[in-house]
Amino acid sequence: MDESSTTTLGDRVRRAQRGDEMALRELIVSYQHRVAGFTYAITGRSDSVEDLVQMVFVKMARSIARLKAPEQFEPWLFRLARNTCIDHLRRQKLRRIFIPFAPEHENVPEPPGAVDAEELDALRHALAQLRPRDRALLALVQEGRSHAEIAQTFGTSVAAVKARLHRAREQLRIHYHSDEI
Amino acid sequence: MRSEDRAWTKLREHAAARISPGFPDRVLRAARDGASPLFVAHFAMCAATAAVCVVAVALYHVRASGDEAAQSIAGWGEIAAQASDLEQGL
Repeated sequence: MDESSTTTLGDRVRRAQRGDEMALRELIVSYQHRVAGFTYAITGRSDSVEDLVQMVFVKMARSIARLKAPEQFEPWLFRLARNTCIDHLRRQKLRRIFIPFAPEHENVPEPPGAVDAEELDALRHALAQLRPRDRALLALVQEGRSHAEIAQTFGTSVAAVKARLHRAREQLRIHYHSDEI
Repeated sequence: MRSEDRAWTKLREHAAARISPGFPDRVLRAARDGASPLFVAHFAMCAATAAVCVVAVALYHVRASGDEAAQSIAGWGEIAAQASDLEQGL
């Protein structure tokens, strides 16, 4: 990201922090598709993407005033998205304890026509084999986040991020190619 | 472009297509409307958990102090009986 776009973003964030609804709207428009992709990579369900993305931006709108460093908006937003997705998956897991589903209801396939590309299907299946934390890690890398930013998001060291990322990529590659065959 | 990279691109495009028109307006409306149902549910869950813990601690305390009092009374009863036996012996 160049200096002018950082300045524009920082300015937008500061305006949003002062309660400027237009600035909030601009932020939502700028990031809605990226957050949608990130959310889909972690949850693997396209039917819950819009609800989750809405939840992320509602949280953003309500707590943006507390963000101390406007230039840290992007890592902060993706941290919000990651936590929202992990909470969502945790709630689903908890719900399954109280409402046991039959095996055929556990993995309901995407609606017909929802996934029309073999490559995408293979990636979705490969991601589903990984732990949610590893999916979040790979999705953050796809979002162009640096190792340092990811380490900050996960509350760990850069070295630990590199090691986990290496393992996650290996796992993804194995499952992706086994699905492709 | 590798197959895996193409798949990531498709994943992002597919997810982006799930966002329906008017999304920013819906978000802003939801953000203006009081506490989210999720927050209320979390709060209710925390309150219920805290209430259950308080009741459990209170019940345990009542029971433990009841047992302690019964033991003390029994102990004093025994001492009184021994004292009365001694008095009769004298």
